[in-house]
Amino acid sequence: MRVSNVSLSYGGEPVLEGASLQVGNGQFVSLVGPSGSGKSSLLRAAMGLQKPFAGTVDLGRPKSEVGILFQDDALLPWRTARQNVSLGLRFRGVPKAEALKKADEWLASLGLEGLEDRYPRRLSGGQRKRVALAQVLALEPKLILMDEPFASLDAIVRTKIIQDVVQLVERKKIAVLLVTHDLEEAISLSDVVYLLSQGPRAKISQQYTIPIPRPRDLVRARLHPAYAPLLEKLWNDLSHEVEGGSNGHGSNPHSAMAAE
Amino acid sequence: MKTLLHPRYALVRQLATLGALLAFWEYAGTLGWLNPLYMPRPSAVGIALRDLFLEGRIWPHMQATFTAALGGLVLGLLAGIVFGILAALVRLLSELIEPVMLVLNAIPRVILAPLFIIWFGIGLGSKIALSFVLVAVVIFFNVFGAVKNVDRKLVERIVTLGGGRWALLRQVYLPSITASVLHNLKVAVGFAFTGAVVGEFVGASRGLGYLISFAQSTYNAALMMALVLLILAVVLVIFALANQAEKRLLRWH
Repeated sequence: MRVSNVSLSYGGEPVLEGASLQVGNGQFVSLVGPSGSGKSSLLRAAMGLQKPFAGTVDLGRPKSEVGILFQDDALLPWRTARQNVSLGLRFRGVPKAEALKKADEWLASLGLEGLEDRYPRRLSGGQRKRVALAQVLALEPKLILMDEPFASLDAIVRTKIIQDVVQLVERKKIAVLLVTHDLEEAISLSDVVYLLSQGPRAKISQQYTIPIPRPRDLVRARLHPAYAPLLEKLWNDLSHEVEGGSNGHGSNPHSAMAAE
Repeated sequence: MKTLLHPRYALVRQLATLGALLAFWEYAGTLGWLNPLYMPRPSAVGIALRDLFLEGRIWPHMQATFTAALGGLVLGLLAGIVFGILAALVRLLSELIEPVMLVLNAIPRVILAPLFIIWFGIGLGSKIALSFVLVAVVIFFNVFGAVKNVDRKLVERIVTLGGGRWALLRQVYLPSITASVLHNLKVAVGFAFTGAVVGEFVGASRGLGYLISFAQSTYNAALMMALVLLILAVVLVIFALANQAEKRLLRWH
């Protein structure tokens, strides 16, 4: 996937300006930035839910090979877990019985065996997130765009789900573009981290390569010698962006450039 | 004493109070404190109610009212749903339909009853028409709102999973509309009966509304109260049925 020079706006001043990034096959890439930097909008533009103001997003593959996981699980409340997971397959013309069988398999592989017939309202937040994940994985994507999908979960559930996600994407060689404001999550999961500056007119200001080997274990990744220095560096750079933004345009070199 | 005050026994306390009130009313009537012309005793109302069924003369009237109410309900639901969807999806149509509906919503629609009797006669047609207008307007706004306020996140979810227009309609719009209609089914049923009974009251030769109007013209307060009770019972039964339907169809809720 290649994002070239993308600018986005909601009419008026662009939120995001001239952003470029790449996600290689099977690569886990994170995009970190303060809120209001247009991170989510970039993913929406990639899926064609929003038109970029300028620039192009090349998914590098047919849209059918790309899945997206939103912050909200957005499951259909009137369909059971199994029916929700089978939706994408049904849209692709997979016969009903087969789609439901596949849905059950995915639910089981995400630890939701026995909950197939539950409606979303009768599932916990973590379970709903797993259903949403199964819904995306059932289409066997090569690339998944994630928009802070785990933000609403409590710490333990969150760590467990992320651990499962890491294992699955590593095993199936799925590329991921994760949008998050959680630095620790970004470093421990990713191969590459991009840092967005404070919006409006946010830009990609830094790029970091994470040298922690795979397969990754979330807890061990944090014990890797490269982890702490990287976290500190990202944290310093990010605080610089945020302060630069709030102190007015003058102190931020990117805003100063954009103002010309 | 303490157990009797427990919230669990609220119904018992309510029924006991009602019983006491009725007993007092009955007793006051026997003592001659109440003019039976205005306030007939509960037993007199009971007898009037029994007579309606004993002679079997209530059935054609019940049938007339039910036919009008159900006819108006079904047609009103259909029209409300169809126009609600169309207005929400086609801007040109909503420009035409919405003001009409707003006006119809603002006025007390039962005042149309005399006009409908002039247009459709004193038969079934005018009652169905009144029932229809009452129901259709309420359902229209519900469906219109349901389509307009459909959850954007669900729409995006379906689109990103590769669903087309048909999938959106089937998976998102129709269930949203169904839920909103079912949530308002009881209101619609209430309106359907209001339309039928008021229509009959204004001008008819059959129906519960006609009987009330007959009771009024003959100063028969006992019969009138018996009829009010009967209509109440009928509507409660239908509410219970609507509740069942709602529960069954909105299992996911």
